[in-house]
Formats: sequence, C-alpha cells, structure tokens
Amino acid sequence: MRRFIENLLRSAINETVDKAITRAIRDQYGENLFEMLPSGAKTGPINLMEIAMRAHHGVPVPRPLGSPLNFSPWEKILFSPVHLFRFPVPEQVGIDTSVTIGPAAKKPLTVSIPILIAGMSFGGALSKRAKIALARAAALAGTATNTGEAGLLREEREAAGLLIGQYNRGGWLNTPEKYRRLDAIEIQLGQGAQGSAPQRTSAKRIGEDFRKVFGLREGEDAVIHSRLPGVDTKEAFIGLVRRLKDETGVPVGLKIAATHHLEKELQIALEAEVDFVTIDGAEGGTHGGAPILQDDVGLPTLYGIARAAEFLAKKGGTGKVSLLAAGGLVTPGRMLKAIALGADAVYIGTAAIMAMIGDQIVETLPFEPPTSLVVYDGKMTDQLDVEKSAKNLFRFLNACVMEMEAVAVTLGKTSLADIAKSDLCTLDPFIAKAGNSPWNGCSRAAG
Amino acid sequence: MEDPKHTLAYIRSELLRIETMAGTLSAIEKEHFHQLNRFDQRELADLAVEEQNAARQLNAIRTICLSLSQKIGEMLQEEAGSGTSERGNHEAVH
Repeated sequence: MRRFIENLLRSAINETVDKAITRAIRDQYGENLFEMLPSGAKTGPINLMEIAMRAHHGVPVPRPLGSPLNFSPWEKILFSPVHLFRFPVPEQVGIDTSVTIGPAAKKPLTVSIPILIAGMSFGGALSKRAKIALARAAALAGTATNTGEAGLLREEREAAGLLIGQYNRGGWLNTPEKYRRLDAIEIQLGQGAQGSAPQRTSAKRIGEDFRKVFGLREGEDAVIHSRLPGVDTKEAFIGLVRRLKDETGVPVGLKIAATHHLEKELQIALEAEVDFVTIDGAEGGTHGGAPILQDDVGLPTLYGIARAAEFLAKKGGTGKVSLLAAGGLVTPGRMLKAIALGADAVYIGTAAIMAMIGDQIVETLPFEPPTSLVVYDGKMTDQLDVEKSAKNLFRFLNACVMEMEAVAVTLGKTSLADIAKSDLCTLDPFIAKAGNSPWNGCSRAAG
Repeated sequence: MEDPKHTLAYIRSELLRIETMAGTLSAIEKEHFHQLNRFDQRELADLAVEEQNAARQLNAIRTICLSLSQKIGEMLQEEAGSGTSERGNHEAVH
C-alpha cells in the first residue's frame, strides 16, 4: 500500500513538473510565471519588496539597521604578519587594549577595550530592557555605552560604568543637570544612515516612560531637527563646544556622517577644540530610516576614516583629538582595520544587538523578527532576558578583542593602538591610492 | 593642606605602586584564564572570560595610573620651576 501511494505521488509530481517546465518554455513572457525571475533579478528581492511597501504605505519605508549594501571593500585589505625582520610578540606578553578618549580633556575617558557601544536611543530605537543590557555588558567589559539621541535614562546611567551622551538635535539631553552626569559628550549633528535629515517619532508610538525621559507633553511627537537648536553658525558651534568643555571637563566631541565635505567639517571641529570626532560611515545603522538616506547618501566608513585620520595628522591633531569610527563594523577584522587606518576606537551597533539577542532568537522565530525583542515598540520586548543579553554581548566583546590580540601578536605589536597603515596591504591599487598613503599595495610590492 | 608638594609626591608614589600591582594582578588573571580554559564546562568557560576581561581592566588601570602620575609629575615640576623663578625674582629685587 505504502509503495503504491509513493508511486502515485512520484507520478503526480513528475507530471506537474513536466507541465510547468513545458509551459515555461512555450508561453510568451507576458503570460509566463517565469517572468518573475528576470524581473526579480533586475530589481533585487529587497528593492522589489520595498517598491511594494512604498506603493502600499505611500510614505518612505523605515528600514531598520541601515543599508544592506557593503560600500567599504574591507575584504580587499589584509594585515601583514611578521616573522624575522620584526619578531612576533612572545605569547606570554600581554597586548595592551586600553584607549584614552580625549587625552587633552580635563577628565579624559579611558576604556579597557577599543570597542564602544554605539548610540542607539531609548524610545526612538530600543526598549528600556535592551538599553540596560547594553549598559551592563559595556560595564562588564570596561568600556562605554552611548545614549543615542534621547534624554537621560536613569536605569542606563546606573547600569553603565562609562556613559557617553549625545547632545542632540531633539534637545532632550541638552540641559546641565543631564549632561553633567555624563563621562563624555558627543554633539550629534548627523549619522551615517540618515545624514543630517530630520526624524520624527509619532506620539502614537510614544509611551509614558518615553515621554518622561524625553520631557514630552502627551500627544507631542519626538522631533529630531536637521540643525542643532541654537547652532546656526560656525561660531555658535565653537561657542557650544567651549562652553561644554568648561562646564564639565569631560571629553566633548562631534559626531557627523562621513561625507565628501569631511575635511571642511573637521576644520571647524578643530577650531572649536573638540576632544574627539566620531565619523559614522554610510554603512551606519539606524532604528528605521528612508532607504534613499541609507543607500544613496554619505561616504563609506573605510574612506571616511582614512580621510579623517589623514586630515588630523596633517593638522597636528593625531594623539590630541581622538578619532572614533562607526558604520558597518560587524567583524573584529573590520574593527581592527578601522583602527589600523587611524581610528582610536570603534563603535558597534548592529553587531552588538545581534550578539545580545544571540540564542534568544529562538523565542521569536518563525513568526516574529528577532529585533522584536529589542526595539522600543517591538511585540516581544518584555521577553528579552537582560542578564543573558548582557552576558552574550560581554562574551562577544571578549571574543572580538581576543581575535584582535591574535593579529597584534602576529604583527609584532604589543598594543592595539600601535597597529597602523604600515601593517596593512591591499589587493587593490585603487584602495592604496584612495588611502593616499603607503599601504604596501600588493601590486606595488610585487613589482 | 600643610604641604601640597609632599602630598602630591606621596599620591604619585602610591599611584606608581598601584600601577605595578595592577600589572602583576593582570598577569595572574591572564594565567587563570588559560588554566580555566582547560576544563570543558560552560560555567568555568564563563569564569575564564571574566578573568581575561579582568586582566584587561587591570591593564587599563595601569594606563590610567601612569597617565595620572605623569600629570602629577608635571605639576611638581611646574611647582619646582615657579619656586625657582620666584626665588630668582626675589633675589633680583633685593
């Protein structure tokens, strides 16, 4: 009986497949289901779905976590191990991983590892539980976390050993009683995934805790303006930086999206005597941003860092003004390459979220996306295990730094901060040229 | 404060002592990490990661102590310099 059913099924499948293939061959494209394949390949599955979403909603699609495009060709850069001309580091020697941000500030900020948790706001992006988990993991690892564009969340401040706060375009952290409780202040004028475009969180998405932290009235939208309120001239920006430095003594920095105008922006930052600059490349993540801002605006992280580091070196800022890199740094290899290109430390956002969720992904699949555990209005935020999440991220950070230390050993460098462009080679002469520095381009070295 | 110069010198010497202690402890924690990693047990593996992280944080403490003692050293030097110049001015007047 079983054999009979099996044969019947096989015969039915065979006939159906035969008919489908024959129809696909004989029918004209206009009436052929196969037409979906070339049209799908032309637009790509993401664009295809976003076309349909735009057509349904009539407004920009708030795509989470930034552009799916990998603009920076990190895979074309490799580290160069040493054997004899310089010796690798003996294994019993520890690799120094600590970094001081804003060494010229009255109260510099020293972190144990060169990886910081990126600015992801409570409410605008993440739930309170997710923010507490990020802060706890950062504290365990001896590094800093960042408020993102938000007010000061008491629970985050308490959980974080070191907290960098964003003096933001919404104005929610911009009062002395809030920014005086920070370990560093990052003036946020833009981000890789949004440029300096305004953003708005509708009042219908805003709960009571969100309103309280942001100081919003009931029914009021949370608005991030394109300009920082009160800063409409270069002089006003310089005045703001100096005032914050004098008032707090902590490192005061500037965060911008990497752009082709980078050097002009940095010139003003140097005139203002910032203690650090954060360059967020076009691959930077976000809670939800218009695809055009993510895919078609900005400068990729790799080029942004290389140009910023070179500019700082030219202006005598290296070692005085710290350079923080962000945007698409999802592997320890990319993080360390960013450091080799001149960054003092890197921010991670997407990778931190993924690491934090880790094995809790099974709680959401197959009916909800994993991010529903962490986003402010996600359906499953109450199911995020804070302790487990903090431990997951802590272990991830440790693993990343261990991988970086392994590379430092093979480069013969006893400190991650000593890894430089001279430790890199590139497989692509264009990248060597774009770096405008001796990257030991393989093509040149081979010649 | 009776003698700020002596207090600063005392803080500096203590900072250098903390720096040395942090370095020694960091090496011990690192060794613990290797020892704990020999066992194939989740709890011990977690402890190993914590030990390694502690080693790194102790290393950061070393860096902070060094930088603070350097700053205090600069202050002491400035103090000594200004003392010398004040004495110089005093002698020039008289």
